[in-house]
Amino acid sequence: MKVLVPVKRVIDYNVKVRVKADGSGVDLANVKMSMNPFDEIAVEQAIRLKEAGQADEVVAVSIGVKQNQETLRTALAMGADRAILVVATEDVHADIEPLAVAKILKAVIDEEQPGIVLAGKQAIDNDMNATGQMLAALTGWSQATFVSELDIQGDSALVTREVDGGLQTIKVSMPTIVTVDLRLNEPRYASLPNIMKAKKKPMDEKTPADLGVDIAPRLTIVSTGEPEARAAGIKVGSVDELVEKLKEVGAV
Amino acid sequence: MELLDQIRASIGDKYVVTRQDAQAWTRDWTDVYHWQPLAVTRPANTEEVQAIARACFAQNIAMVPVGGNTGLTGATKAQDAIMISLDRMNAIREIKPNAQVAIVESGAVLDSIHQAVDDHDLVFPLIFGARGSAMIGGNLSTNAGGSNVLRYGNTRDLCLGLEVVLADGQVMNLMSELRKDNTGLNLKHMFIGAEGTLGIITAAVLRLYRKPLAYVTAMVGLRQLEDALPLLNRLQNETGGGVEAFEFMPRRYIERHIEIISGADEPFEGAHEVNILVEVASTRASDLQPDESGTPKLQAILETALMDMISNDKAQDAVIAQNEAQRRSMWARREAAAEITVGFPGAVDTDVAVPLEAVPSFLKQMTARVQKIDPEGYEFYLSHLGDGNLHYTFYPSDRSGRFKEPITEAIEDVVLELQGSFSAEHGIGLSKRNSMARRKDPVALEMMRAIKTALDPKNLMNPGKVYPEPEAR
Ligand SMILES: Cc1cc2nc3c(=O)[nH]c(=O)nc-3n(C[C@H](O)[C@H](O)[C@H](O)COP(=O)(O)OP(=O)(O)OC[C@H]3O[C@@H](n4cnc5c(N)ncnc54)[C@H](O)[C@@H]3O)c2cc1C
Ligand SMILES: Cc1cc2nc3c(=O)[nH]c(=O)nc-3n(C[C@H](O)[C@H](O)[C@H](O)COP(=O)(O)OP(=O)(O)OC[C@H]3O[C@@H](n4cnc5c(N)ncnc54)[C@H](O)[C@@H]3O)c2cc1C
Repeated sequence: MKVLVPVKRVIDYNVKVRVKADGSGVDLANVKMSMNPFDEIAVEQAIRLKEAGQADEVVAVSIGVKQNQETLRTALAMGADRAILVVATEDVHADIEPLAVAKILKAVIDEEQPGIVLAGKQAIDNDMNATGQMLAALTGWSQATFVSELDIQGDSALVTREVDGGLQTIKVSMPTIVTVDLRLNEPRYASLPNIMKAKKKPMDEKTPADLGVDIAPRLTIVSTGEPEARAAGIKVGSVDELVEKLKEVGAV
Repeated sequence: MELLDQIRASIGDKYVVTRQDAQAWTRDWTDVYHWQPLAVTRPANTEEVQAIARACFAQNIAMVPVGGNTGLTGATKAQDAIMISLDRMNAIREIKPNAQVAIVESGAVLDSIHQAVDDHDLVFPLIFGARGSAMIGGNLSTNAGGSNVLRYGNTRDLCLGLEVVLADGQVMNLMSELRKDNTGLNLKHMFIGAEGTLGIITAAVLRLYRKPLAYVTAMVGLRQLEDALPLLNRLQNETGGGVEAFEFMPRRYIERHIEIISGADEPFEGAHEVNILVEVASTRASDLQPDESGTPKLQAILETALMDMISNDKAQDAVIAQNEAQRRSMWARREAAAEITVGFPGAVDTDVAVPLEAVPSFLKQMTARVQKIDPEGYEFYLSHLGDGNLHYTFYPSDRSGRFKEPITEAIEDVVLELQGSFSAEHGIGLSKRNSMARRKDPVALEMMRAIKTALDPKNLMNPGKVYPEPEAR
């Protein structure tokens, strides 16, 4: 079985986000970019499936700018076998919308015929939580979202989903689209020898036109703003002072 | 007490803290030293510090300045003294992005300075584990080092100017932003590293640097320590001096870290004796440009250098952080040093420096020496290898204390033989006064005492610290 893992290049989640002066989005010029953390978990899971003998090839795919190569190399260094880069824009600030991404992935699926797609539950930049679901609709495959456990059993899979207030276990038929949550696994580090090997692994480059997909945007961003700054705290010098302050604000 | 009433009148009742409310100020971070201060005073500005000093001076009462109280040498012990806590004087008065300086009050917590300058894409490159509590006045007074000394120097090198209140309450204004100022003796340097024995630092002008656009951080498992310096030099050459940190952790350190810190992991698949944390950084956008395989230039330099070492069988393995979270967890391992070292009673804990090439020799000689003194004892160490600073600790086989002196002397012997220092960054405080008496050049000691007497004739500023009693020689 082949596993397809879509990986997105996003602003590193430990980097302080700054809004562009014109409010059109987040400033990404010269900012540390990394693989979307949920996608790292998906890559890890794909490699584990391969190590467990349940998959024979892991293909990572990324859609965006040329620099997404770096993100794909990370996936290859972790253990993916080959990569597909779909160069959809030259502008690091252009976010390809979930529907366009899902259509591109659908075209890749038609070519690659994977048995399962492992994607992140959401990208931490736009928090859309949509690509996996849209892809399931386009392919007509089953979907399992927010997955924290995955057990493939022949032509079906038993998955545990993290839902509000608890866990839900469902059975889906294969092939399937799985979107992974934080607690599925702990992704591995890339060792230098594996990083070097990754540079020699195949990476196919395509465009949306090659795949017959129109990526013209359908959404308009009205504005982007900084969250309201949290009011500064104060340091109290003694227990009495703490009590006094709590009384002042009516907390006790 | 009349003195306290006088101080209360100057700075406000609630900022003169005594009894239970002063608990936090009755022990040091290592929990080795305990004391009862007369009171902890918490002035709001320089004038209030002056008022406290004048009152103590008039009544011959000792004063002990305190910042975050994270010092590791017992230098804040304040039995029957007035403690002067700078914690309320924490304003970051001004950041001048173009001149790359910050003007701060001495109670500013190091981490708050980091955060404030980050908004301007600048860094104040003094970094170590206690940065969330330690204050700049304490950093200056101990001339703290940390993990970036290799590139940016000690706190001394990061300070352009100071304001100091002397024991008698006079203010000395040395708040210069100048990079060049040869108007006589440069007095600010006397207060840097003086551990509060000459005066109370109330404000400082700090030097800032441009924040790197990119960091590349790796852990490397080397076969032998001797191969570390050539690696450091190669990386310096190829990055134009871009190595920010070069830290050494032996296998024992990795094991103990995993044992003590929950959630801690092995850095590599296999176990290696010589583990190096190396970080390179660049402010140049061109260093972020990807090569044909998609690897940014700066990372490619590090990858190639490390891969050569693996091919030549000098390194066994390496991992490179792929994102900021992985980088931080590499750093967390190194910064847990104080937590995982403290906690063994009876240990001999040192902070020594030797010339860069002498680190392997120091360790070999120490192992041979301690074998003869206490063969059942246990060595534990780590090193800011890029600047020759070692934190070497020895845990004797029993708690009788009988090994303490011979081990301490053995360490000092080896250090001096190699022309090193018995206190590289933590200072002298109380814990190293014996070493000062034994090992410091006697003329240097006499001159230090002369300076102390000139500035603090009544010996009221943090008395009993740093300088050994003359008769102890
Ligand atoms: C990669 C990634 C994966 C994630 N996965 C999940 C997930 O699976 N499930 C999930 O629920 N969330 C998830 N999150 C969200 C994440 O858990 C929250 O963003 C995080 O817990 C918020 O903590 P914070 O301190 O950053 O938040 P902040 O926004 O700083 O604070 C959140 C609230 O915490 C309180 N608080 C914070 N600091 C203090 C303080 N010092 N003193 C007093 N109160 C304080 C305040 O009430 C504040 O409003 C994920 C985030 C990332 C980046
Ligand atoms: C976890 C940990 C890691 C550490 N790592 C390092 C490291 O890597 N490198 C390193 O060099 N040190 C390190 N240290 C020790 C370091 O010296 C101190 O943490 C720090 O510099 C002291 O700052 P502080 O504000 O806590 O000072 P305190 O402990 O409050 O005081 C230290 C000394 O300075 C004096 N002092 C404080 N403020 C003033 C002032 N305003 N005017 C005059 N005198 C003053 C005190 O009287 C005392 O003598 C570490 C400590 C810990 C706990």
